[in-house]
Amino acid sequence: MPYNIAVLIKQIPDIDQMKTDQNTGEPMTQNLPLRIENLSKNAIEAAVQLKEKNGGKVTGLIFGTDRSNAAMKEAYAMGVDEGFVITGYQDNSPALTAKVLAGKLKGMEHDMVILGNQSADTYTGLLPGMLSSLLGEPLIGNAISVEPADGQVKVTRVLEDHNVILSSKLPAIISVAQEINEPRLPPVLQIMAAGRKPINSEQAGINEESGVKVLSDRAPKSDRKREVYEDPEKGIPEVVKAIKEVIR
Amino acid sequence: MKALVYSDNVSVLQESLTYIRKMMDADGVTEAEGAGDVLNYGAGKIYSLKGDSFYDNISSAIRQIYENGSYDFIFLGSTTLGREIAGSLSASLGLQPMTELISFEPKDGKAVTRRFAHGGKTVVEEESGAKVLTLMPGIADPEPAEGASATEEVQLGDSKLSLVERIEKQATAVNLEKAEVIVCVGRGLGKKEGISEVEPLVKAVKGELAGSRPVCLDYQWLTEDRQVGLSGKKVKPKIYIALGVSGQIQHIAGMRDSKTVIAVNKDKDAPIFEEADYGIVGDLYQIVPKLVQALQS
Ligand SMILES: Cc1cc2nc3c(=O)[nH]c(=O)nc-3n(C[C@H](O)[C@H](O)[C@H](O)COP(=O)(O)OP(=O)(O)OC[C@H]3O[C@@H](n4cnc5c(N)ncnc54)[C@H](O)[C@@H]3O)c2cc1C
Repeated sequence: MPYNIAVLIKQIPDIDQMKTDQNTGEPMTQNLPLRIENLSKNAIEAAVQLKEKNGGKVTGLIFGTDRSNAAMKEAYAMGVDEGFVITGYQDNSPALTAKVLAGKLKGMEHDMVILGNQSADTYTGLLPGMLSSLLGEPLIGNAISVEPADGQVKVTRVLEDHNVILSSKLPAIISVAQEINEPRLPPVLQIMAAGRKPINSEQAGINEESGVKVLSDRAPKSDRKREVYEDPEKGIPEVVKAIKEVIR
Repeated sequence: MKALVYSDNVSVLQESLTYIRKMMDADGVTEAEGAGDVLNYGAGKIYSLKGDSFYDNISSAIRQIYENGSYDFIFLGSTTLGREIAGSLSASLGLQPMTELISFEPKDGKAVTRRFAHGGKTVVEEESGAKVLTLMPGIADPEPAEGASATEEVQLGDSKLSLVERIEKQATAVNLEKAEVIVCVGRGLGKKEGISEVEPLVKAVKGELAGSRPVCLDYQWLTEDRQVGLSGKKVKPKIYIALGVSGQIQHIAGMRDSKTVIAVNKDKDAPIFEEADYGIVGDLYQIVPKLVQALQS
Protein backbone atom coordinates (compact mmCIF):
# COMPACT_ATOMS: atom_id res chain seq x y z
CA MET A 1 0.00 0.00 0.00
CA PRO A 2 1.38 3.43 -0.94
CA TYR A 3 1.99 5.94 1.85
CA ASN A 4 2.11 9.70 2.07
CA ILE A 5 5.15 10.46 4.16
CA ALA A 6 6.23 13.84 5.46
CA VAL A 7 9.85 14.08 6.48
CA LEU A 8 11.10 16.92 8.66
CA ILE A 9 14.55 18.17 7.79
CA LYS A 10 16.69 20.41 9.94
CA GLN A 11 19.46 22.51 8.47
CA ILE A 12 22.28 23.39 10.84
CA PRO A 13 25.64 25.17 10.68
CA ASP A 14 28.41 22.63 10.17
CA ILE A 15 29.32 22.28 13.84
CA ASP A 16 32.13 19.84 13.06
CA GLN A 17 33.95 22.72 11.39
CA MET A 18 33.10 25.19 14.15
CA LYS A 19 35.98 26.45 16.27
CA THR A 20 35.86 28.25 19.56
CA ASP A 21 37.82 31.41 20.27
CA GLN A 22 41.23 30.63 21.77
CA ASN A 23 40.89 33.36 24.40
CA THR A 24 37.21 33.69 25.24
CA GLY A 25 36.13 30.12 24.42
CA GLU A 26 33.11 31.53 22.58
CA PRO A 27 31.80 29.77 19.48
CA MET A 28 32.86 31.25 16.13
CA THR A 29 29.75 30.80 14.04
CA GLN A 30 30.32 33.37 11.29
CA ASN A 31 30.65 32.02 7.75
CA LEU A 32 30.09 28.42 8.77
CA PRO A 33 28.69 26.39 5.88
CA LEU A 34 25.22 24.94 6.42
CA ARG A 35 24.37 21.27 6.10
CA ILE A 36 21.57 18.80 6.74
CA GLU A 37 21.58 17.71 10.37
CA ASN A 38 22.80 14.10 10.92
CA LEU A 39 19.61 12.43 12.07
CA SER A 40 17.54 14.32 9.52
CA LYS A 41 19.49 12.36 6.91
CA ASN A 42 18.52 9.12 8.63
CA ALA A 43 14.91 10.35 8.60
CA ILE A 44 15.05 11.09 4.85
CA GLU A 45 16.62 7.70 4.19
CA ALA A 46 13.93 5.93 6.24
CA ALA A 47 11.14 7.77 4.40
CA VAL A 48 12.63 7.11 0.96
CA GLN A 49 13.14 3.42 1.76
CA LEU A 50 9.47 3.11 2.82
CA LYS A 51 8.43 4.71 -0.46
CA GLU A 52 10.70 2.43 -2.48
CA LYS A 53 9.17 -0.58 -0.80
CA ASN A 54 5.50 0.40 -0.64
CA GLY A 55 5.06 3.19 -3.15
CA GLY A 56 3.70 6.61 -2.30
CA LYS A 57 5.21 10.03 -1.92
CA VAL A 58 7.78 11.68 0.32
CA THR A 59 7.34 15.37 1.07
CA GLY A 60 10.19 17.24 2.75
CA LEU A 61 9.60 20.14 5.13
CA ILE A 62 12.29 22.52 6.29
CA PHE A 63 11.63 25.30 8.76
CA GLY A 64 14.62 27.40 7.78
CA THR A 65 15.72 30.51 5.99
CA ASP A 66 16.26 31.66 2.42
CA ARG A 67 19.53 29.73 2.59
CA SER A 68 17.72 26.41 3.00
CA ASN A 69 17.19 25.53 -0.66
CA ALA A 70 20.55 23.77 -0.83
CA ALA A 71 19.46 21.36 1.90
CA MET A 72 16.19 20.68 0.08
CA LYS A 73 18.08 19.98 -3.15
CA GLU A 74 20.20 17.44 -1.33
CA ALA A 75 17.02 15.87 0.04
CA TYR A 76 15.63 15.71 -3.51
CA ALA A 77 18.79 13.97 -4.65
CA MET A 78 18.26 11.39 -1.90
CA GLY A 79 14.75 10.69 -3.17
CA VAL A 80 12.38 13.25 -1.64
CA ASP A 81 9.63 14.02 -4.19
CA GLU A 82 8.42 17.46 -3.20
CA GLY A 83 9.75 20.04 -0.79
CA PHE A 84 8.55 23.03 1.17
CA VAL A 85 10.94 25.53 2.68
CA ILE A 86 9.17 27.57 5.32
CA THR A 87 11.23 30.65 6.09
CA GLY A 88 11.34 32.55 9.36
CA TYR A 89 13.68 30.41 11.46
CA GLN A 90 15.82 32.60 13.69
CA ASP A 91 17.31 31.05 16.76
CA ASN A 92 16.72 27.68 18.24
CA SER A 93 13.20 27.58 19.67
CA PRO A 94 11.71 24.11 19.59
CA ALA A 95 8.30 25.48 20.64
CA LEU A 96 8.14 27.80 17.63
CA THR A 97 9.49 25.15 15.25
CA ALA A 98 6.84 22.70 16.48
CA LYS A 99 4.02 25.22 15.98
CA VAL A 100 5.16 26.18 12.48
CA LEU A 101 5.61 22.57 11.36
CA ALA A 102 2.37 21.38 13.01
CA GLY A 103 0.54 24.20 11.23
CA LYS A 104 1.87 23.03 7.88
CA LEU A 105 1.28 19.33 8.61
CA LYS A 106 -2.36 19.94 9.58
CA GLY A 107 -3.07 21.07 6.05
CA MET A 108 -1.21 18.15 4.45
CA GLU A 109 -2.45 14.64 3.97
CA HIS A 110 -0.01 12.27 5.62
CA ASP A 111 0.18 8.73 6.93
CA MET A 112 3.51 9.17 8.65
CA VAL A 113 5.63 12.07 9.84
CA ILE A 114 9.27 11.02 10.12
CA LEU A 115 11.96 13.05 11.87
CA GLY A 116 15.22 12.62 13.78
CA ASN A 117 14.92 11.79 17.45
CA GLN A 118 17.37 14.46 18.60
CA SER A 119 19.42 16.84 16.51
CA ALA A 120 23.18 16.82 16.47
CA ASP A 121 23.56 20.49 17.40
CA THR A 122 21.36 20.95 20.47
CA TYR A 123 19.94 17.48 21.32
CA THR A 124 16.80 19.00 22.81
CA GLY A 125 14.76 16.04 21.58
CA LEU A 126 11.57 18.01 22.15
CA LEU A 127 10.08 18.21 18.69
CA PRO A 128 8.63 14.67 18.45
CA GLY A 129 6.65 14.99 21.70
CA MET A 130 5.53 18.53 20.92
CA LEU A 131 4.26 17.58 17.45
CA SER A 132 2.40 14.65 18.90
CA SER A 133 0.54 16.97 21.29
CA LEU A 134 -0.13 19.64 18.69
CA LEU A 135 -1.31 17.22 15.99
CA GLY A 136 -3.06 14.78 18.32
CA GLU A 137 -1.21 11.93 16.62
CA PRO A 138 0.63 9.10 18.38
CA LEU A 139 4.42 9.21 18.55
CA ILE A 140 6.67 6.21 18.40
CA GLY A 141 10.14 7.45 19.17
CA ASN A 142 13.76 6.40 18.71
CA ALA A 143 12.91 3.87 15.99
CA ILE A 144 15.34 1.45 14.40
CA SER A 145 12.75 -0.26 12.23
CA VAL A 146 9.42 0.88 10.79
CA GLU A 147 6.90 -1.50 9.25
CA PRO A 148 3.56 -0.10 8.14
CA ALA A 149 0.71 -2.44 7.16
CA ASP A 150 -3.09 -2.28 7.11
CA GLY A 151 -3.48 1.18 8.58
CA GLN A 152 -1.10 0.36 11.43
CA VAL A 153 2.60 0.78 11.97
CA LYS A 154 4.90 -1.49 13.91
CA VAL A 155 8.08 0.10 15.21
CA THR A 156 11.10 -1.22 17.06
CA ARG A 157 12.07 1.41 19.58
CA VAL A 158 15.38 1.63 21.43
CA LEU A 159 15.38 2.48 25.12
CA GLU A 160 18.32 2.73 27.48
CA ASP A 161 18.16 -0.76 28.94
CA HIS A 162 15.76 -2.64 26.70
CA ASN A 163 14.03 -2.37 23.33
CA VAL A 164 10.32 -2.58 22.62
CA ILE A 165 8.22 -3.25 19.57
CA LEU A 166 5.21 -0.93 19.63
CA SER A 167 2.32 -0.51 17.28
CA SER A 168 -0.19 2.23 16.64
CA LYS A 169 -2.76 3.36 14.12
CA LEU A 170 -1.74 5.62 11.26
CA PRO A 171 -1.28 8.55 10.94
CA ALA A 172 1.63 8.48 13.34
CA ILE A 173 4.77 10.42 14.12
CA ILE A 174 7.97 8.40 14.06
CA SER A 175 11.30 9.69 15.31
CA VAL A 176 14.33 7.74 14.21
CA ALA A 177 17.63 6.81 15.86
CA GLN A 178 20.97 6.97 14.06
CA GLU A 179 21.16 3.16 13.88
CA ILE A 180 18.06 2.81 11.68
CA ASN A 181 20.02 3.05 8.44
CA GLU A 182 23.07 4.38 6.62
CA PRO A 183 21.93 7.44 4.61
CA ARG A 184 22.69 7.08 0.90
CA LEU A 185 25.15 9.21 -1.01
CA PRO A 186 23.19 10.14 -4.12
CA PRO A 187 24.84 9.61 -7.54
CA VAL A 188 25.90 12.67 -9.53
CA LEU A 189 23.06 12.31 -12.07
CA GLN A 190 20.49 12.49 -9.32
CA ILE A 191 22.20 15.51 -7.81
CA MET A 192 22.06 17.28 -11.16
CA ALA A 193 18.40 16.42 -11.67
CA ALA A 194 17.61 17.61 -8.15
CA GLY A 195 19.11 21.00 -8.93
CA ARG A 196 16.45 21.62 -11.57
CA LYS A 197 13.48 20.56 -9.50
CA PRO A 198 11.34 23.42 -8.12
CA ILE A 199 11.14 24.07 -4.39
CA ASN A 200 8.01 25.48 -2.77
CA SER A 201 8.76 28.37 -0.52
CA GLU A 202 6.52 30.08 2.00
CA GLN A 203 6.80 32.40 4.97
CA ALA A 204 6.00 31.14 8.48
CA GLY A 205 2.77 32.67 9.74
CA ILE A 206 3.91 32.77 13.36
CA ASN A 207 6.76 34.64 14.91
CA GLU A 208 7.45 34.65 18.62
CA GLU A 209 10.43 35.31 20.81
CA SER A 210 11.89 32.33 22.62
CA GLY A 211 12.22 34.38 25.83
CA VAL A 212 15.57 32.77 26.56
CA LYS A 213 18.41 35.04 27.60
CA VAL A 214 21.92 33.71 26.97
CA LEU A 215 24.14 34.56 29.94
CA SER A 216 27.28 32.92 28.57
CA ASP A 217 28.30 30.45 25.85
CA ARG A 218 31.82 29.05 26.08
CA ALA A 219 33.86 25.95 25.44
CA PRO A 220 34.32 23.96 28.64
CA LYS A 221 37.88 24.37 29.85
CA SER A 222 40.07 21.50 28.82
CA ASP A 223 43.49 21.55 30.38
CA ARG A 224 44.77 18.37 28.84
CA LYS A 225 48.54 18.11 28.34
CA ARG A 226 48.22 17.19 24.64
CA GLU A 227 51.61 15.48 24.47
CA VAL A 228 51.22 13.71 21.15
CA TYR A 229 54.02 11.46 19.89
CA GLU A 230 54.34 10.59 16.23
CA ASP A 231 57.20 8.27 17.13
CA PRO A 232 55.79 5.40 19.20
CA GLU A 233 59.25 4.59 20.56
CA LYS A 234 59.15 7.94 22.35
CA GLY A 235 55.44 7.86 23.21
CA ILE A 236 55.18 4.40 24.73
CA PRO A 237 57.55 5.05 27.68
CA GLU A 238 55.66 8.27 28.54
CA VAL A 239 52.31 6.52 28.43
CA VAL A 240 53.57 3.61 30.50
CA LYS A 241 54.95 6.02 33.08
CA ALA A 242 51.58 7.77 33.35
CA ILE A 243 49.75 4.46 33.72
CA LYS A 244 52.18 3.12 36.31
CA GLU A 245 51.68 6.19 38.48
CA VAL A 246 48.07 5.12 38.94
CA ILE A 247 48.24 1.33 39.00
CA ARG A 248 51.11 -0.15 40.83
CA MET B 1 8.58 26.65 45.70
CA LYS B 2 7.61 23.16 44.74
CA ALA B 3 8.60 20.75 42.00
CA LEU B 4 7.09 17.66 40.44
CA VAL B 5 9.85 15.23 39.44
CA TYR B 6 9.47 12.21 37.14
CA SER B 7 11.76 9.61 35.67
CA ASP B 8 11.16 6.16 34.25
CA ASN B 9 14.65 5.29 35.47
CA VAL B 10 14.85 4.75 39.23
CA SER B 11 18.45 5.89 39.67
CA VAL B 12 17.86 9.01 37.59
CA LEU B 13 14.84 9.80 39.78
CA GLN B 14 16.93 9.29 42.93
CA GLU B 15 19.59 11.64 41.52
CA SER B 16 17.05 14.24 40.42
CA LEU B 17 15.24 14.24 43.77
CA THR B 18 18.57 14.56 45.60
CA TYR B 19 19.45 17.53 43.39
CA ILE B 20 16.11 19.35 43.53
CA ARG B 21 15.20 18.85 47.20
CA LYS B 22 18.11 21.13 48.18
CA MET B 23 16.34 24.01 46.39
CA MET B 24 12.64 23.38 46.93
CA ASP B 25 9.96 20.92 48.06
CA ALA B 26 9.38 18.06 45.68
CA ASP B 27 6.95 15.30 44.87
CA GLY B 28 8.04 12.37 42.72
CA VAL B 29 6.32 10.32 40.03
CA THR B 30 7.38 6.94 38.68
CA GLU B 31 6.07 3.64 37.44
CA ALA B 32 4.81 1.34 40.20
CA GLU B 33 7.69 -1.17 39.82
CA GLY B 34 10.27 1.42 40.82
CA ALA B 35 8.24 3.38 43.36
CA GLY B 36 9.52 1.40 46.35
CA ASP B 37 13.10 2.42 45.58
CA VAL B 38 12.53 6.17 45.66
CA LEU B 39 10.67 6.58 48.95
CA ASN B 40 13.74 7.76 50.85
CA TYR B 41 14.94 10.59 48.64
CA GLY B 42 13.21 13.52 50.27
CA ALA B 43 10.00 13.70 48.23
CA GLY B 44 6.87 14.71 50.17
CA LYS B 45 4.85 12.29 48.12
CA ILE B 46 5.58 9.65 45.51
CA TYR B 47 2.91 9.07 42.88
CA SER B 48 3.11 5.50 41.69
CA LEU B 49 1.77 4.92 38.17
CA LYS B 50 -0.12 1.67 37.66
CA GLY B 51 -0.80 0.02 34.33
CA ASP B 52 0.99 -0.27 30.99
CA SER B 53 2.93 2.94 30.55
CA PHE B 54 3.67 4.88 27.36
CA TYR B 55 4.75 8.46 26.78
CA ASP B 56 1.17 9.60 26.20
CA ASN B 57 -0.64 8.18 29.23
CA ILE B 58 2.30 9.10 31.50
CA SER B 59 2.12 12.67 30.15
CA SER B 60 -1.61 12.81 30.87
CA ALA B 61 -1.08 11.51 34.41
CA ILE B 62 1.68 14.04 35.14
CA ARG B 63 -0.45 16.78 33.65
CA GLN B 64 -3.32 15.92 35.96
CA ILE B 65 -1.11 15.82 39.05
CA TYR B 66 0.41 19.15 38.01
CA GLU B 67 -2.96 20.78 37.47
CA ASN B 68 -4.40 19.50 40.76
CA GLY B 69 -1.40 20.60 42.77
CA SER B 70 0.53 23.82 42.97
CA TYR B 71 3.87 23.22 41.37
CA ASP B 72 6.34 25.79 40.10
CA PHE B 73 8.39 23.42 37.96
CA ILE B 74 8.16 19.99 36.34
CA PHE B 75 11.47 18.10 36.15
CA LEU B 76 11.95 15.00 34.04
CA GLY B 77 14.97 12.74 33.90
CA SER B 78 16.61 13.17 30.50
CA THR B 79 16.02 9.71 29.06
CA THR B 80 14.49 8.85 25.68
CA LEU B 81 11.07 8.62 27.30
CA GLY B 82 11.67 11.68 29.52
CA ARG B 83 12.39 13.93 26.54
CA GLU B 84 9.26 12.74 24.72
CA ILE B 85 7.16 13.47 27.79
CA ALA B 86 8.84 16.88 28.14
CA GLY B 87 7.87 17.77 24.56
CA SER B 88 4.36 16.49 24.92
CA LEU B 89 3.73 18.17 28.30
CA SER B 90 5.24 21.51 27.38
CA ALA B 91 3.11 21.72 24.23
CA SER B 92 -0.12 20.59 25.89
CA LEU B 93 0.32 22.80 28.96
CA GLY B 94 1.78 25.71 26.99
CA LEU B 95 4.81 25.82 29.29
CA GLN B 96 8.31 26.70 28.19
CA PRO B 97 10.72 23.73 28.05
CA MET B 98 14.46 23.50 28.59
CA THR B 99 16.18 20.16 28.19
CA GLU B 100 19.43 18.22 28.72
CA LEU B 101 20.40 20.34 31.70
CA ILE B 102 23.66 19.88 33.54
CA SER B 103 22.63 22.45 36.16
CA PHE B 104 19.57 24.36 37.34
CA GLU B 105 19.08 27.20 39.74
CA PRO B 106 15.83 29.07 40.46
CA LYS B 107 16.20 32.85 40.42
CA ASP B 108 13.26 35.19 41.05
CA GLY B 109 10.79 32.71 39.57
CA LYS B 110 13.02 32.21 36.54
CA ALA B 111 15.29 29.30 35.71
CA VAL B 112 19.03 29.69 35.29
CA THR B 113 20.25 26.60 33.47
CA ARG B 114 23.33 25.15 31.80
CA ARG B 115 23.47 22.70 28.92
CA PHE B 116 25.75 21.73 26.06
CA ALA B 117 25.36 23.60 22.78
CA HIS B 118 26.88 23.53 19.28
CA GLY B 119 27.08 19.76 19.29
CA GLY B 120 28.72 19.74 22.71
CA LYS B 121 31.53 22.15 21.85
CA THR B 122 30.28 24.80 24.24
CA VAL B 123 28.28 25.05 27.45
CA VAL B 124 25.57 27.68 27.34
CA GLU B 125 24.16 29.32 30.45
CA GLU B 126 20.67 30.70 29.99
CA GLU B 127 17.96 32.48 31.93
CA SER B 128 14.40 31.67 30.95
CA GLY B 129 10.86 31.23 32.09
CA ALA B 130 11.20 27.48 31.55
CA LYS B 131 8.82 25.35 33.63
CA VAL B 132 9.31 21.91 32.07
CA LEU B 133 12.92 20.86 32.40
CA THR B 134 14.87 17.68 31.79
CA LEU B 135 17.89 16.88 33.96
CA MET B 136 20.80 14.87 32.58
CA PRO B 137 21.50 11.52 34.25
CA GLY B 138 24.26 11.92 36.82
CA ILE B 139 23.24 15.46 37.88
CA ALA B 140 23.91 14.50 41.51
CA ASP B 141 25.08 11.47 43.48
CA PRO B 142 21.92 9.98 44.96
CA GLU B 143 21.75 10.45 48.73
CA PRO B 144 18.93 9.06 50.83
CA ALA B 145 17.15 11.62 53.02
CA GLU B 146 15.54 11.21 56.42
CA GLY B 147 11.96 10.03 56.58
CA ALA B 148 9.86 8.25 54.01
CA SER B 149 7.59 9.77 51.37
CA ALA B 150 3.85 9.25 51.39
CA THR B 151 2.61 7.29 48.40
CA GLU B 152 -0.40 7.60 46.18
CA GLU B 153 -1.37 5.23 43.42
CA VAL B 154 -2.43 6.66 40.07
CA GLN B 155 -4.13 4.45 37.50
CA LEU B 156 -2.82 5.20 34.02
CA GLY B 157 -5.38 5.88 31.31
CA ASP B 158 -5.51 4.50 27.77
CA SER B 159 -2.66 4.93 25.32
CA LYS B 160 -2.73 5.20 21.54
CA LEU B 161 0.18 2.76 21.49
CA SER B 162 0.26 -0.92 22.22
CA LEU B 163 3.13 -3.11 23.24
CA VAL B 164 3.86 -5.95 20.85
CA GLU B 165 7.02 -7.26 22.43
CA ARG B 166 9.70 -6.35 24.93
CA ILE B 167 13.24 -7.27 23.94
CA GLU B 168 15.81 -7.47 26.72
CA LYS B 169 19.27 -6.29 25.83
CA GLN B 170 22.25 -8.42 26.41
CA ALA B 171 24.07 -6.91 29.35
CA THR B 172 27.06 -7.73 31.45
CA ALA B 173 27.71 -6.89 35.07
CA VAL B 174 29.96 -4.00 34.18
CA ASN B 175 29.98 -0.78 36.18
CA LEU B 176 31.89 1.67 34.02
CA GLU B 177 30.90 4.62 36.19
CA LYS B 178 32.96 3.20 39.03
CA ALA B 179 35.91 1.87 37.01
CA GLU B 180 39.34 3.33 37.81
CA VAL B 181 40.84 2.45 34.45
CA ILE B 182 38.94 2.17 31.16
CA VAL B 183 40.18 0.96 27.80
CA CYS B 184 37.78 2.17 25.12
CA VAL B 185 37.82 0.88 21.56
CA GLY B 186 36.37 2.77 18.60
CA ARG B 187 35.49 1.93 15.03
CA GLY B 188 39.22 1.93 14.31
CA LEU B 189 39.27 -1.57 15.79
CA GLY B 190 37.96 -2.65 12.39
CA LYS B 191 36.65 -6.09 13.39
CA LYS B 192 35.09 -7.90 16.30
CA GLU B 193 38.03 -10.29 16.54
CA GLY B 194 40.17 -7.25 17.37
CA ILE B 195 38.74 -7.34 20.90
CA SER B 196 40.92 -10.32 21.79
CA GLU B 197 44.01 -8.36 20.76
CA VAL B 198 43.07 -5.51 23.08
CA GLU B 199 42.21 -7.71 26.05
CA PRO B 200 45.82 -8.22 27.17
CA LEU B 201 46.08 -4.44 27.62
CA VAL B 202 42.81 -4.35 29.58
CA LYS B 203 44.28 -7.01 31.90
CA ALA B 204 47.67 -5.31 32.18
CA VAL B 205 46.06 -2.07 33.37
CA LYS B 206 43.41 -3.86 35.48
CA GLY B 207 40.77 -1.95 33.54
CA GLU B 208 37.29 -2.34 32.12
CA LEU B 209 36.60 -2.55 28.40
CA ALA B 210 34.31 0.08 26.85
CA GLY B 211 33.38 1.16 23.33
CA SER B 212 32.22 4.10 21.23
CA ARG B 213 28.69 4.13 19.94
CA PRO B 214 29.36 2.43 16.59
CA VAL B 215 31.21 -0.36 18.40
CA CYS B 216 28.37 -1.00 20.86
CA LEU B 217 25.29 -0.16 18.77
CA ASP B 218 25.96 -0.48 15.05
CA TYR B 219 28.39 -3.38 15.08
CA GLN B 220 27.60 -4.87 18.49
CA TRP B 221 31.22 -5.85 19.03
CA LEU B 222 30.54 -4.99 22.66
CA THR B 223 27.27 -4.91 24.60
CA GLU B 224 25.38 -1.64 24.78
CA ASP B 225 25.99 -1.19 28.49
CA ARG B 226 29.65 -0.56 27.61
CA GLN B 227 28.97 2.48 25.44
CA VAL B 228 30.61 5.70 26.58
CA GLY B 229 29.29 9.07 25.50
CA LEU B 230 26.44 11.47 25.37
CA SER B 231 23.90 8.73 24.82
CA GLY B 232 25.88 6.15 26.80
CA LYS B 233 27.73 6.09 30.10
CA LYS B 234 29.36 9.16 31.62
CA VAL B 235 32.61 7.91 33.11
CA LYS B 236 35.36 9.45 35.22
CA PRO B 237 38.19 6.94 35.60
CA LYS B 238 41.71 7.84 36.67
CA ILE B 239 42.94 6.60 33.31
CA TYR B 240 41.00 6.50 30.06
CA ILE B 241 42.71 4.84 27.12
CA ALA B 242 41.02 5.47 23.75
CA LEU B 243 42.06 3.14 20.92
CA GLY B 244 40.87 3.97 17.39
CA VAL B 245 38.32 6.49 18.66
CA SER B 246 38.12 9.67 16.58
CA GLY B 247 36.96 11.82 19.49
CA GLN B 248 33.67 13.21 18.19
CA ILE B 249 32.13 15.58 20.66
CA GLN B 250 29.33 13.15 21.56
CA HIS B 251 31.98 10.71 22.69
CA ILE B 252 33.96 13.33 24.60
CA ALA B 253 30.79 14.29 26.50
CA GLY B 254 30.95 10.90 28.19
CA MET B 255 34.62 10.85 29.21
CA ARG B 256 35.51 14.50 29.71
CA ASP B 257 35.83 14.06 33.48
CA SER B 258 38.51 11.37 33.21
CA LYS B 259 41.68 12.28 35.08
CA THR B 260 44.28 11.24 32.52
CA VAL B 261 43.40 10.54 28.90
CA ILE B 262 45.61 8.48 26.60
CA ALA B 263 44.80 8.13 22.90
CA VAL B 264 46.10 5.90 20.14
CA ASN B 265 44.97 6.80 16.64
CA LYS B 266 46.56 6.41 13.24
CA ASP B 267 45.38 9.85 12.14
CA LYS B 268 47.55 12.56 13.68
CA ASP B 269 44.76 15.11 13.15
CA ALA B 270 42.09 13.07 14.95
CA PRO B 271 40.17 15.33 17.37
CA ILE B 272 40.77 12.88 20.22
CA PHE B 273 44.33 14.20 20.51
CA GLU B 274 42.90 17.60 21.51
CA GLU B 275 41.25 15.88 24.47
CA ALA B 276 44.21 13.71 25.41
CA ASP B 277 47.07 14.13 27.86
CA TYR B 278 49.21 11.61 26.00
CA GLY B 279 48.76 10.58 22.42
CA ILE B 280 50.50 8.08 20.19
CA VAL B 281 50.04 8.31 16.44
CA GLY B 282 49.97 4.82 15.00
CA ASP B 283 48.15 1.60 14.27
CA LEU B 284 46.56 0.30 17.45
CA TYR B 285 47.37 -3.27 16.44
CA GLN B 286 51.05 -2.40 16.54
CA ILE B 287 51.00 -0.08 19.55
CA VAL B 288 48.90 -2.22 21.90
CA PRO B 289 51.29 -5.22 22.09
CA LYS B 290 54.20 -2.85 22.66
CA LEU B 291 52.31 -1.12 25.48
CA VAL B 292 51.52 -4.46 27.09
CA GLN B 293 55.14 -5.52 26.87
CA ALA B 294 56.39 -2.24 28.34
CA LEU B 295 53.84 -2.40 31.16
CA GLN B 296 54.94 -5.89 32.10
CA SER B 297 58.63 -5.16 32.18
C1 LIG C 1 22.57 12.36 19.19
C2 LIG C 1 23.86 11.62 19.08
C3 LIG C 1 24.35 10.93 20.18
C4 LIG C 1 25.58 10.24 20.11
N1 LIG C 1 26.04 9.60 21.23
C5 LIG C 1 27.23 8.98 21.17
C6 LIG C 1 27.78 8.33 22.33
O1 LIG C 1 27.16 8.27 23.39
N2 LIG C 1 29.00 7.73 22.23
C7 LIG C 1 29.74 7.75 21.07
O2 LIG C 1 30.86 7.21 21.07
N3 LIG C 1 29.23 8.33 19.97
C8 LIG C 1 28.01 8.94 19.99
N4 LIG C 1 27.52 9.51 18.86
C9 LIG C 1 28.22 9.26 17.58
C10 LIG C 1 29.41 10.16 17.34
O3 LIG C 1 28.98 11.32 16.67
C11 LIG C 1 30.45 9.47 16.47
O4 LIG C 1 29.83 9.02 15.29
C12 LIG C 1 31.14 8.28 17.15
O5 LIG C 1 31.60 8.65 18.43
C13 LIG C 1 32.30 7.83 16.31
O6 LIG C 1 32.85 6.65 16.85
P1 LIG C 1 34.34 6.21 16.60
O7 LIG C 1 35.26 7.26 17.09
O8 LIG C 1 34.48 4.85 17.18
O9 LIG C 1 34.41 6.04 15.02
P2 LIG C 1 35.06 6.96 13.90
O10 LIG C 1 34.63 8.36 14.02
O11 LIG C 1 34.83 6.25 12.62
O12 LIG C 1 36.61 6.93 14.22
C14 LIG C 1 37.46 5.85 14.05
C15 LIG C 1 38.87 6.33 14.31
O13 LIG C 1 39.74 5.22 14.31
C16 LIG C 1 40.96 5.58 13.68
N5 LIG C 1 41.56 4.33 13.20
C17 LIG C 1 41.17 3.54 12.17
N6 LIG C 1 41.92 2.44 12.10
C18 LIG C 1 42.84 2.51 13.10
C19 LIG C 1 43.91 1.68 13.55
N7 LIG C 1 44.16 0.50 12.96
N8 LIG C 1 44.64 2.09 14.60
C20 LIG C 1 44.39 3.27 15.22
N9 LIG C 1 43.38 4.10 14.84
C21 LIG C 1 42.61 3.73 13.80
C22 LIG C 1 40.57 6.55 12.60
O14 LIG C 1 41.65 7.42 12.29
C23 LIG C 1 39.41 7.31 13.27
O15 LIG C 1 39.86 8.47 13.94
C24 LIG C 1 26.30 10.21 18.90
C25 LIG C 1 25.81 10.90 17.79
C26 LIG C 1 24.61 11.59 17.85
C27 LIG C 1 24.12 12.32 16.64
